[in-house]
Amino acid sequence: MAKVHEITVWARGVIMDKEGRDVINIFAQAAQMEGKFAQAFDNYEDLPDRVLVTVRKYVRLSDEAIEHKYVYTNDHPEVVVVIEPTIVKGIDILRGMEKGGTLIINTNRSIEEMLKFIPNANLLGTVATVDADAITGVRTVDFSGSEGGGDTSGIGKGIASPMAGAIAKVTGLIKKENLAKIVSDVSGMERGYNEVKIKKLG
Amino acid sequence: MAKELPGYGTIDVPKDRVVPFGAVTPAPVCQQDLFQTSNWRIVRPVKDDEKCTRCLICYLSCPDACWVYKEEEDVMEWVNNFCKGCQICIQECPSGALTAAPELDFPDGVVRLNKPF
Repeated sequence: MAKVHEITVWARGVIMDKEGRDVINIFAQAAQMEGKFAQAFDNYEDLPDRVLVTVRKYVRLSDEAIEHKYVYTNDHPEVVVVIEPTIVKGIDILRGMEKGGTLIINTNRSIEEMLKFIPNANLLGTVATVDADAITGVRTVDFSGSEGGGDTSGIGKGIASPMAGAIAKVTGLIKKENLAKIVSDVSGMERGYNEVKIKKLG
Repeated sequence: MAKELPGYGTIDVPKDRVVPFGAVTPAPVCQQDLFQTSNWRIVRPVKDDEKCTRCLICYLSCPDACWVYKEEEDVMEWVNNFCKGCQICIQECPSGALTAAPELDFPDGVVRLNKPF
């Protein structure tokens, strides 16, 4: 079986639930356009309908059909994306990560400042930050697209587009050209791609 | 004291926790340590003791009883491991003693968990 790339996205319930889900949907659709096999789904145990609760969203990419049967969590994430920076303080976001993983945070703070809050940062190979809030100017677009709702604002209208651009650049798993066909905010995605700050750790 | 609950069998209520019907209890009497909610917070309330008049409106308005009045020291005490950062106390404070500060400005104060809750 080919290697399965696991990507975990951390967001906050209600206020960033749609943004978190947009990131995984954009990412999985772009991977499928390149002929990869992709899965994108929310965590089943989390409480996305409670304001501010941390929620997890997952993507899996592979060159062959993914044979993870009945497993609905990413137990060994290769890439961890944090949509709201305060999450790094309260949760072990790197749990299960193997050495040399990647962390991407949406923040305007410096990488060194964020690493202070992560006691197990020695697992990381790459850390990147992108100020997606400043690029789009909004943090919450709307509350549609949650369970049972319709998605009226389009996929990637808010901070999801710059985050997806940043992930594409840092991980190299998907191409920017395919992202541009999916997201509704193409300029935001381009800015996220260009403005992400990357630091390699020893 | 064993109590019959229809369909649920019996539960044992400790003697010091038994109350008469319609009683008013000072709540909460204990902390639920299995449900720490400090990592829900994006901002935290920071109080200014000079401006605080001890009117106890923060104590009344907090949905999670995270403001406690310490009578001996005459100060309000903030319960950091259950405050969700809802900012109701900041909105309600009549003397403007409370302000919202980003949680990442502080090195600690959040209980670090393995899972979301």
